[in-house]
Amino acid sequence: MKKLIFLGCLSNSKYKKTCANAIKIIQSLDPSFSVLEEVPCCGALSYHIGNDTELKEHVEFVNNWFKINDVSEIVTICAGCYNYLTKYYDQFLGNEFNIKVRHFLQFLAEPNNFSKLNLKYSGKKLKVSYHDACHLRNAVVPIIEEPRQIINSIENIELKEMENNRTNSICCGAGGGVYSIFKQGSDYNSKLVFDQLNRGKVLLTACPFCYTAFTRIKEENQIKKPVVKFEDFIIKIMEGVDPLIE
Amino acid sequence: MNESGEELYNIVKEKIETSQKEGTLENQFGNFWKMACTIKTRQHDMRYLYEDTSREFVDRNRENLTEMREEFVKHMDLYVEKCIDIMRKKNFIVHYAKSNEEAQTIFMEELGDSKIIYKSKSTEAKDIGIIDILNKNNIKIKETDLGDVLVQLFNYTLPSFQVGPGAHFTEEQIANKIKEVYGVELEPKAQAIVDYFRSTFRNELLNNVKVSLTSANAISAEDGTIILGENEGNISLITRATEKHIVVCGITKIVPNIFDAVLMTQLQSRINNVSFNYINLISGPSNTSDIQGMSIQGMYGAKEVVVILVDDWRTKAAKENLIYVDFLKCIGCKSCIFPCTASRAFGNIYASKYGLGATAIIRDYIHNGIEAAVNDGLFLCTGCENCYHWCPVSINCGEILKSMKKEATEKGLAPLHLEQYKEKIFKDKNPFL
Repeated sequence: MKKLIFLGCLSNSKYKKTCANAIKIIQSLDPSFSVLEEVPCCGALSYHIGNDTELKEHVEFVNNWFKINDVSEIVTICAGCYNYLTKYYDQFLGNEFNIKVRHFLQFLAEPNNFSKLNLKYSGKKLKVSYHDACHLRNAVVPIIEEPRQIINSIENIELKEMENNRTNSICCGAGGGVYSIFKQGSDYNSKLVFDQLNRGKVLLTACPFCYTAFTRIKEENQIKKPVVKFEDFIIKIMEGVDPLIE
Repeated sequence: MNESGEELYNIVKEKIETSQKEGTLENQFGNFWKMACTIKTRQHDMRYLYEDTSREFVDRNRENLTEMREEFVKHMDLYVEKCIDIMRKKNFIVHYAKSNEEAQTIFMEELGDSKIIYKSKSTEAKDIGIIDILNKNNIKIKETDLGDVLVQLFNYTLPSFQVGPGAHFTEEQIANKIKEVYGVELEPKAQAIVDYFRSTFRNELLNNVKVSLTSANAISAEDGTIILGENEGNISLITRATEKHIVVCGITKIVPNIFDAVLMTQLQSRINNVSFNYINLISGPSNTSDIQGMSIQGMYGAKEVVVILVDDWRTKAAKENLIYVDFLKCIGCKSCIFPCTASRAFGNIYASKYGLGATAIIRDYIHNGIEAAVNDGLFLCTGCENCYHWCPVSINCGEILKSMKKEATEKGLAPLHLEQYKEKIFKDKNPFL
């Protein structure tokens, strides 16, 4: 029986450092979690463009891979994978899929782990803003309060809510592949998110897709405020490094 | 992606490019729309008029409303039968049309020799093809809602927001247009423009209307009462100072009883942060019993009230559990458009001839198929489901659009980039390799 850290294709391909950070945090709380090589894509990005037969075939393939590798539990750091594994795997496979899936933030917020975390920030009082990703807030078991609980527990860190938060948050605008298909004009919503940062010194995100969109829009528009992935933020706090450095 | 997929992709891309260029009509609308979306969604949490915010109002009523609509969809045929029965007893002339074509024929027969019709704002009339058939028969359509009057005045043909279709025209533009069309010089101020239409058009509405057309916000199945909310008074005038008032709407406008109808109208007002200064409850044609207790029809108000209830796609969607079956619950509040990611960014590019946003695209899909939906910007939907979170009857347009995207992909209409993603996922098991 294996407990798998499911990194997700995007993070695993483009954000290696974040993956390493996430693995470090998860294993510090539960050393029985590990990563595996050659993990297949969960299929999340294909749901709206695949037909039911090919989608089912794919999730069956992935489920079979889980079985072969004796996976019984998953903690994923990808918002998209979490949403897809918990919603559509159940829809396509029913009882055939019986793996316990949690998101990184849920895992951290669990009483056992949360008490072990004990995060302290020794720098000057810092105001942060958290962006609710669609994948997390729309999931079958939505992840909305967990990141807030974690942020609020950190000494010297204050959460500054954006005007649009929780189920009312503004989508980064890149979902559905919109940014890659129709680049022009699709950055409008991301800019709105930055506009709402107000007193927050940093934009925290727990979704690698949103992160990709935000950093791109930030560069294109010379926006100064940093965007930091939740995993990187936590590790920086743990290691006493300035969390504002991207 | 096949040839028509490529063609549609290029059409949408060109439309976006046009909308990004300053000075174009699309750009003017887009800028207005971005502002409207920000203000409107901000108003959801404001407490400027009532004790509660509109979000609190919607949240408090969502469960009941969703249940009410689900119950209606489940027993649609029974509610329709009950509604028609009571309406006929109350001297409405009621027609049940199985298809849009049938509704159009009935409508033209009811219109008779009249060559002109005065109408209120109505998405249903567009959905049922009444506007098309009127145009085809050279019947003059006189819009009466000021927003639609302006749209007609400007001969504006791009999709616009159904609730305020002319709201993006500036005071200067309107004053100039009035000078150009009517030769009247006005101060470019909203008040002066309103005064102008009040002094000219109001008389016409009071004296000249023979046949009028409206939809309904809701119809109560229990007592056959039609409910129509408005703020200008145009509906009040054209439904009273007329010979014949024709109501055309889909059967999904029916609700179990009058309380549900009032709640729905109230919700439409609260969720859009607009006021219905007049709420019309119409339970039959004008009538008097003041001479010997004899009931005589046609006193001061409409002599006849004709109701054309249209099924078309509706029963089929419920029976066959079609991908848009959830859309049957829609109460037409149109509030899903403000928080929509695609709508905010792309304004009237993410739209159809039925109006802005996902629901207008779903209507286009129902009547004109998947190619029409792709042309309307189907692939601009990010799937964020903001529409669902805000919907007072819990319709997930995001999921409906996902199913539409699947159909588009099967027909070779999905943008190339997405197809490549899919290939990589299914073959390489990693789209980012």
